[in-house]
Amino acid sequence: MTNAEKYNQAFCEALEIAEDQLEGLEYQGIEQWDSVGHMGLIAALEDAFDIMMDTDDIIDLSSYEKGKEILAGNYEIAF
Amino acid sequence: MLLQGLTAVVTGCNRGIGKAILTAMASEGASVFAIVRKEDPSFTEHCASLAEAHGVEIPIVYADFEQEDEVKAAAKQILQSKKGVDILVNNIGVAQPPRMLAMTNMETIRNVFQVNLFSGILFTQLITKAMMRRKRGSVIFLSSSAAFDGGANIEYSASKAAVIGAVKRLAIELGQFGVRVNAVAPGLTDTDMGNMTPQEDMQVAVSRNVMKRLGKPEEVADAVVFLASELSRFITGQVLRVDGGLL
Repeated sequence: MTNAEKYNQAFCEALEIAEDQLEGLEYQGIEQWDSVGHMGLIAALEDAFDIMMDTDDIIDLSSYEKGKEILAGNYEIAF
Repeated sequence: MLLQGLTAVVTGCNRGIGKAILTAMASEGASVFAIVRKEDPSFTEHCASLAEAHGVEIPIVYADFEQEDEVKAAAKQILQSKKGVDILVNNIGVAQPPRMLAMTNMETIRNVFQVNLFSGILFTQLITKAMMRRKRGSVIFLSSSAAFDGGANIEYSASKAAVIGAVKRLAIELGQFGVRVNAVAPGLTDTDMGNMTPQEDMQVAVSRNVMKRLGKPEEVADAVVFLASELSRFITGQVLRVDGGLL
């Protein structure tokens, strides 16, 4: 599985959404991505990539696209 | 055994109440990450014999809780072990001999808050991420009777009172994830820290509790074990006072 596929799968499973909903998705843009859903998403991403995200990154992860930027920039995950 | 097969993390457990908590948890079947500031051969030996006696693991993690980067590194080391933490005891705390606010500088106050409150909150933030994922866990903070009666220096009394506020809020936030958060508030206890209290103040303190004696570290540890165990599975956001009845 590629990193992009892992990333999408983490979002889809944590937020219980379909892959076609990912593009442009933002924090609190859907009911499932509230603060509780956010922690579930972070857990899914940490598990998927075997990382421990810093609190500042957890706060900054405000959209599907921003998450990729953070993982690539701070955790050396190539997409 | 109340904690058979569980994994705990206990901060500041090389002496006093922390050491009693470590001992009680191991004797109840829990493996314990023992967090201490620096290496001490006699403590290492104590952990090894405790582990052997009870068939548990007691890895020692070194961290100075005055330093946030060391708090983060300790959490990372524990989480990367993939043991799955069930219990977190934020025991670490510092106190200083009695003096008035007029004789206290702000740096002292900040340092005490750093250890007694901020580092515990940071550590909890990191460790409970894993608990939230597993939808279970028990977090116990050590507060103090001084939080209620101001019976210690301003920075100690105030930081231990703030711990109670943090416990209430964290219980609200983490309850939905199956994680309970409580505090134990010991009264004057027979430890090195407790014995910093001047003799006459100690006599007054003892005379104020209905059992007319100092607490023992093991009595505080028993309360922590209770809150860590399934016996307290519907208890969260509470402060359990272990003070011999300061009424």
